Amino acid sequence: MRLAEALLAIFRVLVYIFLLAPIAVVVLASFNAGNFLTFPPQGLSLRWFVTFLQNDVFIDAIVYSAVLAALATAVSLVIGTMAALYYVRHAGREAETVRVLLLLPLILPEILTAIALLFFFYEIGVGLEHKIALFTGHVLMTLPFVFLNVTTSLQGSDEACELAARSLGASRMKAFRRITLPLAAPGLATGGVFAFIISFDTFGISFILKGTGSAPLPIQLYDYLRFNFTPEAAAVSTVSILFTLVAVVAADRLFGRKG
Amino acid sequence: MSLRMPGSDGKPYDPGFGLEAYAQFFAEDYYLSALPHTIWLGVITTALCLVLGYPLALHIATASRRWRGILYGIVLSPLLVGIVIRSYGWTILLGNTGVINKTLKDLGIIARPLKLMYNDFGVVLALAHVFLPFMVLPLLAALQGIDPAIGQAARSLGASRLTVFRRVTFPVSMPGVQSGCILVFVLAISSYVTPALIGGMRVKTTTILVVDALTDQFLWPFGSAMAFVLAVSAGLVVVAFALLTRMKWK
Repeated sequence: MRLAEALLAIFRVLVYIFLLAPIAVVVLASFNAGNFLTFPPQGLSLRWFVTFLQNDVFIDAIVYSAVLAALATAVSLVIGTMAALYYVRHAGREAETVRVLLLLPLILPEILTAIALLFFFYEIGVGLEHKIALFTGHVLMTLPFVFLNVTTSLQGSDEACELAARSLGASRMKAFRRITLPLAAPGLATGGVFAFIISFDTFGISFILKGTGSAPLPIQLYDYLRFNFTPEAAAVSTVSILFTLVAVVAADRLFGRKG
Repeated sequence: MSLRMPGSDGKPYDPGFGLEAYAQFFAEDYYLSALPHTIWLGVITTALCLVLGYPLALHIATASRRWRGILYGIVLSPLLVGIVIRSYGWTILLGNTGVINKTLKDLGIIARPLKLMYNDFGVVLALAHVFLPFMVLPLLAALQGIDPAIGQAARSLGASRLTVFRRVTFPVSMPGVQSGCILVFVLAISSYVTPALIGGMRVKTTTILVVDALTDQFLWPFGSAMAFVLAVSAGLVVVAFALLTRMKWK
């Protein structure tokens, strides 16, 4: 038993290393002083960060991705919470249908959703103009994550709390604000963070619906990586990692503590 | 769309309907053979994720409060990093002059670089890494719902640790196993970047073929037909898996 537990512990440590190694390698490679991507780095330098900061393509892409993710998350949180409330509290016999429909973007391969949207927007004559297709795609992709997390939170809480508040004279709105929303807060926070990250990093939807003009960061990076092997991509990646980290910590500070 | 007629004159598709796209798909071995391969990669990736993820989820669920935060962070950290970047990290690790090969060579263990990339091995490894959090999170959610008192009760009644795991912990965590596996499987077969970057153009999956057909060659009906067949196949696998696990555990 002792041996088995020791082996399990070693296994766990290896899995943790497995999880972190590729990311650590990218971050370390970004401080490489050499011209090529080698590891361990040939000396430390920030030159690739300088190169990257002078490259408008990547700067634009990061800003673009962040704005897109923030907007998509906001819309997703509203729609997703409404859907979760309906599903948990009000949907009767059709509950399962509602759930499956809402989770479709998750169940269907992302590429398929992207293709469906491509055809749809092409068919109604909008095409890929004005990034409407791209934005819709991002909301659609992030929706299941909000829905799932909020649903879990709501299911874990007792509806009796709301009913009690209502019977004690709270208005519907007040019961929602003071009881339901705080109960759902952990789900909202987790769902929101998930949504933001999914949108920031999603590739398939953006790849197919990007249209012309500026493209989200993952697309720019992918295009770059297909033909270049300089550590500049590593520098871009490092900045992008920092960016999401900041977003997550901020979200956690904002509503994570309530849960 | 998959029922539309193949386009002419550079248009993505022509008016009218037909089964041409499906006929083309099932006739050409190059495209058809990618399908079972894609499903296979997905299944292996899912199994690997379950094997790697379960001990982690168990560990985190039973860890002390302070440790839980840190370990949770480690598991979530790959999620903070885009799929392109993570795949890129694997190319640095697995490449012919990558970290692993270089280290082994410097240590004198191998003379020639091992082929770690541009094959199924590299793709599955990277996919498992990319989607491991999606396995751990549902597992963790299911495990945290278990009252530790149940396990303690079983233990005090004389059950060994293994029995507790087999008879109590694992069955109760089954919903987590189910959702985790389905999530990982679907994400794995529909991923594009990881097989494209790690596999070079040497590992072909249906998803890669679909995207190429749609964006590069403008073969919309054909691409749609492939995507639809892939979705139906994936759906069948998921349903089969759900039925199998339900029969066994309920």
